[in-house]
Amino acid sequence: MNIPFFKYGMFGDEVSLIVAFIIGIGFGFFLERAGFGSARKLAAQFYFTDMTVLKVMFTAIATAMLGVYYLSIIGWMDLSMVYLTPTNIMPQVVGGLLLGFGFVIGGYCPGTSCVSAATGRTDGIVYLLGVVFGIFGFGEVFPLVSGFYNSTLMGQVTLPQFFNLPYGVVVFLVVLMAVGAFVAAEWGEKNMAKKAEAKK
Amino acid sequence: MKNLTLNNKLAFIAIGLGFIGLFLGNPYKGNLVSMNTTELGMIVEGKVDHVSVQDLADWIIQAKMDFKLIDLRTEQEYNEYHIPNSDNITLTALEKTSIPKTEKIVLYSEGGIHSAQAWMLLKAKGYKGVYILFGGLDDWKDQILFPKLSETATPEQIAKFEKIKEISKFFGGTPSVGGTADVKTETPKMEMPKLDNQSGNKAPDGAPKKKKEGC
Amino acid sequence: MSTLVQTPDTEKKSVSVPKPYWNPYLSGIGLGLVLLLSFVIMGRGLGASGAFSSGISYVMEKIAPTHTKANEFYGEYLGDGTKNPLKDWLVFEVLGVFVGGFISGALGGRIKKTIEKGPNVTDKKRLIFAFIGGALMGIGAKLARGCTSGQALTGGSVLNLGSWAFMMCVFAGAYALAYFMRRQWL
Repeated sequence: MNIPFFKYGMFGDEVSLIVAFIIGIGFGFFLERAGFGSARKLAAQFYFTDMTVLKVMFTAIATAMLGVYYLSIIGWMDLSMVYLTPTNIMPQVVGGLLLGFGFVIGGYCPGTSCVSAATGRTDGIVYLLGVVFGIFGFGEVFPLVSGFYNSTLMGQVTLPQFFNLPYGVVVFLVVLMAVGAFVAAEWGEKNMAKKAEAKK
Repeated sequence: MKNLTLNNKLAFIAIGLGFIGLFLGNPYKGNLVSMNTTELGMIVEGKVDHVSVQDLADWIIQAKMDFKLIDLRTEQEYNEYHIPNSDNITLTALEKTSIPKTEKIVLYSEGGIHSAQAWMLLKAKGYKGVYILFGGLDDWKDQILFPKLSETATPEQIAKFEKIKEISKFFGGTPSVGGTADVKTETPKMEMPKLDNQSGNKAPDGAPKKKKEGC
Repeated sequence: MSTLVQTPDTEKKSVSVPKPYWNPYLSGIGLGLVLLLSFVIMGRGLGASGAFSSGISYVMEKIAPTHTKANEFYGEYLGDGTKNPLKDWLVFEVLGVFVGGFISGALGGRIKKTIEKGPNVTDKKRLIFAFIGGALMGIGAKLARGCTSGQALTGGSVLNLGSWAFMMCVFAGAYALAYFMRRQWL
């Protein structure tokens, strides 16, 4: 097995665009299935009333992580050919915070706002316009911020490398952390529901 | 409740898979590596990773083949000529090679660049004994296959040349005596030794047969 | 399955009752498998914000070519000019996201022209906040080299250090500001 197929030249750029479209359909489908087309459901994450964002996100990460790990271990997949974005730690920390602000203010992230707009939500469409405006603004001031943008480059670093732990150990820890978070989330949701009940 | 058990099952499957994963090792298969740059620098500076063409020739003649000789050039170039006993592994193929990490490896290419790159690659993958044929095939041609003796040579040089002549003939080369400025020796008129039955990597006992076929 | 009905009360009263969302863990596994498929077929993960960058760069190049070409940021998406920047993997993927979202929404009876908001906020205010949030998200996503899909999901599953730091900061930022935004959602 020569995985990833594209990197081994099994098909060209034109076909890859069709693949992109089909994968996108799958992506959008499951986002909507999870309820990510609704800003209320997404924002509820930050008020502990509905932890769907955490559940879906960490389940997805754990699934893909285990899949990639096992495919590589049995030798079907060459993980070194999967693109790993280089880490620029400070811009990513600041970007993450800004993104978090945007998430709770606007109620979406770029991917979910597409789904929201596709299912008729006006706020999703407006949010998308905001994203476009933000990127445009960033592009215009880019010459001023390019220094910070390119700062603190650490190269392609994985958690196992950074913490000097075997890859398998980090995989296990991530799974444990995810399941632990799910248990806490289920318990928390039940508690919040009881509280709401008591208030009535 | 039924739904909760599904969630529980999923959780157990995930933990199980993660737990097994604890014992399975690194998925990168050594493609992402870290290197000790100090050690590398010392090796490079000390040139301890170099093998001269004379040494290599001696080893082959004495059938002292405790190492793996790797030709990094293309298959076509390899088929035209290669040093006896060498294997053809290109740079890309080298990355996926399954040569044991303890093996002693001598690399050669046309000049030195590809060898140096391959050397770095193998070192990074944790190979211990990796050596470069210094000067590559270019030096091999100049010094082993087509050695020249200038007319103004000192007696010492002549004595040395006699020895090299033997080596050269062993590998099917064409030693020549003449002026350094002699056009004849400068132009690549000399034919490369022919390879019979493409068996460069046969045991040295096959090599002597070839020595007369050179010209 | 009754425990799964998480649609707000207001929506329940609408004429066509939308079907409940899936079990989040099953949706998550589905999402994870799509991501895995992307790794397997393409050797890359999912994304969203990059598609918009390509689109903006394309439009900007049409409006102000010299200005745009001088800008390093747009240049990254425009490439060397031999290829149409819209013939990009992420652009086609995001087009698919719209289609996939619509299919799922239609199947679940959830296509509805509405504004998602809490009961204590006006439509106008909600839309202004949506725009501000989107703009912040656009800036943040570019600074962090990816958004929730490109960094958190994709980088998270290949254990990329920067992606995990990013993900933690997204949650930290959102929770830090949640109190001040409560009137919009609760």
